[in-house]
Amino acid sequence: MHYSFEIEGQALLATLEGELDLHTSPEFKEEIITIFETHPQIKYLIINVQGMSFIDSSGLGVILGRYRELQTRGGKLFFVQANPQIKRILQLSGFQKISEFANSANEVLERI
Amino acid sequence: MESTNWIKLEFPSDTRNVAFARTALALFAAQLDWTLDELEDIKVAVSEAVSNSIIHGYQLQEGIVHVHASHSNQILKITIEDFGQGIADIEQATETGYSSIPEERMGLGFTFMYEYMDEVQVISEVNVGTKVTMFKRVGHPESHGTN
Ligand SMILES: Nc1ncnc2c1ncn2[C@@H]1O[C@H](COP(=O)(O)OP(=O)(O)OP(=O)(O)O)[C@@H](O)[C@H]1O
Ligand SMILES: [Mg+2]
Repeated sequence: MHYSFEIEGQALLATLEGELDLHTSPEFKEEIITIFETHPQIKYLIINVQGMSFIDSSGLGVILGRYRELQTRGGKLFFVQANPQIKRILQLSGFQKISEFANSANEVLERI
Repeated sequence: MESTNWIKLEFPSDTRNVAFARTALALFAAQLDWTLDELEDIKVAVSEAVSNSIIHGYQLQEGIVHVHASHSNQILKITIEDFGQGIADIEQATETGYSSIPEERMGLGFTFMYEYMDEVQVISEVNVGTKVTMFKRVGHPESHGTN
């Protein structure tokens, strides 16, 4: 699992690569929570999942936790480059109702 | 005549073994003729059941997870068993959105297992353990992806 973060104004762009599961999600969770805490201006979370090969409920739980924080900040959640498999699990877990899909981070940055 | 085959794995409740188990099971399952989406579905189901044994069954403490898989006549059968806490109310546990640790988890593991496999059976007893058995048939009408 590799991930990187970039802050663009009120948006946090997170790029996830590899497998987000029970083993890999705690470290990712800790880091993204720290970024939220140290950057109270963050209102938009844009997650690029193009390179993500696997996610299950442990990984989705971390993302839901950040969505809840975004809600208290009046923000929004976006997924960039979700393949059909990832779209399906996001749909099953109700994320398609609370987030938006996009083809690129720039597209989102123009939208917000 | 299709031959029957099976594997058996045992490993400690180390979170690294979740990826090991789903990858090993996908390799075994690949002896049958699935679509790529179906193989991904099997990986998610195994990941959820093994994660549950580690998180809930063994409360992230020491324990051994047993995995058995077999296929026969185009039907894959996977059993994941722990000898941990057990589940008091299986009906409640398998409800979508129910989690005994709702501040951390979404309660979707069982939902994914039911969605991605054709059939799921749960046998559990408090302080004895939990056994989840899942079946998936090749070419089953329910088991194709969204695309
Ligand atoms: N192997 C197990 N041993 C003991 N309890 C279990 C086991 N598997 C599941 N449970 C119980 O069933 C509940 C529901 O499981 P499920 O996988 O659907 O959700 P979760 O694990 O709580 O959350 P998520 O899977 O979304 O991370 C768990 O919260 C737990 O109480
Ligand atoms: Mg679970």
